Amino acid sequence: MEGSSVKAERPTVEPAASDFPRLREFGGIWSPEAIEEIHEKADLGRYQIRGQATKRKDFPSFDDLVFVPSGLSRVALEGYRERCDTQVVIGEGRVKRPLVLERPIMIAGMSFGALSVNAKRALGMAATRCGISTCTGEGGMHPEERKYSSKLVYQYLPSRYGLTPYDLRKADMIEIVVSQGAKPGTGGILLGLKVSDEVAEMRTLPKGVDQRSPCRHPDWLGADDLPVKLEQLREATDYAIPISVKVGASRTYDDVRLAARGGVDAVVFDGAEAGTAASPKIQLDHAGVPTVAAVGEAAEALRDLGMKEEVKLIVGGGIKNGADAAKCIALGADAVYIGSAVIIALNCHRPLYVDDYARLGTTPYECCHCHTGLCPVGITTQLPKLVARLDPEEAADRVTNFLNAMTMEIQLFARSCGKKHVNDLDGNDLRALTHDISLMTGVPMVGLNGRVPAWRKF
Amino acid sequence: MAAVENKRTLDCAGKATAEINQFLRNAAADGVNEVEVLNPQARHNLAVSITDPIRLVFRGHVGYYAVSLCDHVRAEILGSAGWGVGDNLMEGEVVVHGNAASAAAPSLRGGRVVIKGSVGPRSGIGQKWGDLIVGGDAGYMTGFMMQKGRIVICGDAAGSLGDSMYDGAIYVGGEITELGNGVAVVEAGKEDLDELREMLAGYGIKPPKGFKKLICDGTLHHFDKKDFDVWKEVL
Ligand code: SF4
Repeated sequence: MEGSSVKAERPTVEPAASDFPRLREFGGIWSPEAIEEIHEKADLGRYQIRGQATKRKDFPSFDDLVFVPSGLSRVALEGYRERCDTQVVIGEGRVKRPLVLERPIMIAGMSFGALSVNAKRALGMAATRCGISTCTGEGGMHPEERKYSSKLVYQYLPSRYGLTPYDLRKADMIEIVVSQGAKPGTGGILLGLKVSDEVAEMRTLPKGVDQRSPCRHPDWLGADDLPVKLEQLREATDYAIPISVKVGASRTYDDVRLAARGGVDAVVFDGAEAGTAASPKIQLDHAGVPTVAAVGEAAEALRDLGMKEEVKLIVGGGIKNGADAAKCIALGADAVYIGSAVIIALNCHRPLYVDDYARLGTTPYECCHCHTGLCPVGITTQLPKLVARLDPEEAADRVTNFLNAMTMEIQLFARSCGKKHVNDLDGNDLRALTHDISLMTGVPMVGLNGRVPAWRKF
Repeated sequence: MAAVENKRTLDCAGKATAEINQFLRNAAADGVNEVEVLNPQARHNLAVSITDPIRLVFRGHVGYYAVSLCDHVRAEILGSAGWGVGDNLMEGEVVVHGNAASAAAPSLRGGRVVIKGSVGPRSGIGQKWGDLIVGGDAGYMTGFMMQKGRIVICGDAAGSLGDSMYDGAIYVGGEITELGNGVAVVEAGKEDLDELREMLAGYGIKPPKGFKKLICDGTLHHFDKKDFDVWKEVL
């Protein structure tokens, strides 16, 4: 065809959608973001991958609940004087060496590989000072992590990377991972730049490979096999330590029920807001049930089995502060898992090395580039030059401070509701701000005091 | 010096699994050469987490996860095995005289698992090192996501063989229903074949006439090479 050989001149620099602020006013389904997303897929030929968590703002959240503290009808605890205990014990009366947590907080599974060794060291130090646990995540138990964490949860995953009978014996709890909230039903991703010599060695992989972990366990598939698998792991750990199952929140009632009946000491689930170092973006936004909606279901499943006291419920996914944690506990959790929050306490998103954020095409507060392995602040990277930017001692202090603040916040709500133990908080201490959240959680609506709404008469 | 005790016998009938495993662990720790295990009755989780050297002989069938999470153990099963036999073996050897069910030798890390009969689906899944040898046929998805080591199948292999393998090699004597993704068939060298024949002879397995050799073709190693390079260049 005539003219087909004429090449159009292309501008070399393409501005980003954010350079056209007025575009936002157009609204509609073809927002600048939706357009940009299609352009990116048209360039890449695959789904987008990124770190962090969903950026959806329309999920129901713990912010839709408020506490109703004491007044005349209930008596508050004296805030600065009276004790308000925080200890939680997992596996009490079930195993020889239950896991004693001094606070109802656990640091969620994040692998060495996804995180740098300095990040692992810092989390270990902080957790040890606070008497709480850290978790290996995928990829095996790094000796430094074991050294710095006095209570270490060892994840048992489909990939079995780095798994040894010796490390199983060194663990303080085992968490059998079935799925995770950020990407339920799919396996992990660790892109090539993060598969360094050491990571490749620990996982028995070719260096620099884009690792895609399996999502199904190789040797057991469903609830029927679970008790046999559990017996194997109990044998491997001398019936000494608790074992939990972790699932991403989806069919939570059934999953929790099956896990508890299978014989675990704790059930862990994380909601759709849970974080990740790398995940298909589309899945972050469109798979799984938000945390606040799933807690009640999970607690109900345990109550229906008469196992609520015996089997502990650990809940994670988007928990940012003591209010989220206290509400989660009031809805039935025994402890909360925090991942993203402690990563942020380490220094994630800090406006240091701003030029390096810019080179990744982002800014400090928008960054979600953990998957690239080029974390400007040395947390989610394996490059020695970047890892060195995170000083483990200083970072451990920041995380300790954050954990202390969060614990005080949880106690603040418990005390103000008249509870001597944070785990005595219950659904009666809460009210819902919206109908939706009231329906989801069973918590009464604010202002109705349990009454049938007046408009029901019409 | 006390004489090394040569042999103990354990009758599983009427004993709890924990008791059986503790007996085996104690025997291994005491330096006993061999334990003969009677009446295994296809029970699950026999010989779990034994990490001192010992030889075990099971007179009968075993259930799920027999000889699993072990190191330095040499076991012989004079019968068939359930799912996940030799799971996560570090070093040592497990020989099954009959067949093995699904996921034989999952996540094998070293040593050797030999099944004289056939194996079910997903055998050698996520294999990290060592050898899995199958005298008969292998079920679908054998060698799925294999990372290193060798799988030798003397008979036929069902579909999705070696799917998504990262590395390692699979040798097949019989027919292959279908190759998995990212797998290439290459010529097996004479040295390779001589070694395989010698290895099989050691277990009294008749080698097939020849072997096809399968390796990872590398296409699944990177999601998209183009942007991997971009990331590399950013800093
Ligand atoms: S600063 Fe680092 S850890 Fe935080 S989002 Fe960016 S890459 Fe991830």
